[in-house]
Amino acid sequence: MQEPVVRGVGAVVVISYAAFIGWLFAAQPRTVTEVVGGVSAGFGTYTVDAQAFADGLGFFRRDQFVEARAAFARADPALRDARTQFYVAYSFYRQGWGRTHSDDALFSSGVEAIDRAIALAPGGRLVVDDDDDLQMQSADELRAELQTGLTRDASDFNPLRWFGTRK
Amino acid sequence: MNSVREAVTLPVLFLTVVLLAALRPGADVTVVPPSLASLVGAMVLFALLVRSGLLAPDRLMHSARSSLANVNGLFVVLTAFLASAQIITLLVPDAGVPALVGWTVLTSLLLQALAIAPDRQRLLRGLLVTFGAAFTLKFIVLATISAPAQSGVGRALQLLFEGVTLGAVTQRPPHPLEGYLAFGTVVLYLVGLVMMPSATWHMVRIGSGGGGGLVQQDHDIVRGVR
Repeated sequence: MQEPVVRGVGAVVVISYAAFIGWLFAAQPRTVTEVVGGVSAGFGTYTVDAQAFADGLGFFRRDQFVEARAAFARADPALRDARTQFYVAYSFYRQGWGRTHSDDALFSSGVEAIDRAIALAPGGRLVVDDDDDLQMQSADELRAELQTGLTRDASDFNPLRWFGTRK
Repeated sequence: MNSVREAVTLPVLFLTVVLLAALRPGADVTVVPPSLASLVGAMVLFALLVRSGLLAPDRLMHSARSSLANVNGLFVVLTAFLASAQIITLLVPDAGVPALVGWTVLTSLLLQALAIAPDRQRLLRGLLVTFGAAFTLKFIVLATISAPAQSGVGRALQLLFEGVTLGAVTQRPPHPLEGYLAFGTVVLYLVGLVMMPSATWHMVRIGSGGGGGLVQQDHDIVRGVR
């Protein structure tokens, strides 16, 4: 092979490899599945398992949240789909919501999931307007609700809270 | 130097060192970037590589070379620098007193090497010993102290040790794979250094009669004096 070709190919290989390592530092994927999903999403070839997503949605609507998250994890193993992550966050909200208090651990996990969803959505705007079961259809509403649940203030002691409803 | 080695082999090898040295295997794999302190340490190490003749930047970037060749040369230099920083991050303990001791010893050794002005061969031997000692400290001695004890007596001794040292010595117990990965990475880094384009001159150690000293010899031209 001619020398300029070798040098040109070498430069492209090195730039691609360095970009991949830079992405690993920035994205901090925790499993090989996340790495593969992230790379394939970069090439626009990542797809969600439709059957597993439908299963997850079914569980979610029957208030079986642990099962729903297991199915969503199968549907989006690399955590690269904004819509699926929105439902994961919503499942944490509904499971952790209580009339007198909310479960901080579940709400914190919900914030992590909704932040992932917002980061993945184009322009950070995510609206799921084709599901009438949801009373909060935008990621911003859901995030605010989760954050409110995690905040401690005087309104927590307001007895009218007991008459509130889960969204 | 062979263009394949300069354009592909060396940069890919050093980037692989960066990647492997950054990986922390475990239930959740983490990717640790080089610390700021290690970047400073890598600059000292790099100065040492150039002064010893182990790395000759003028053989990688020069006005007589083509632009593309200079870009390849720049990639070799940059990736070697990043690999040096990442290797230091890998070998220095993560936190506490061991990290302080590790940094102090490593800095002293590098500064000492700068003062001694070793030649290529001696620097490689010195780095082998320094990295070997750092590896032993972090992945054998500290890992043994920090690993969860198997027996009740062991746990009691560990608790006593942690109490006496106020927990400042014990480290995050490394995953069993981490030590092997680190060992392979250090070896790969040293192989990369051996493959680097070295200077055309070499140092000659001359007799001790008149006080001894080092002379830099470039073919037949003596560049240095006693």
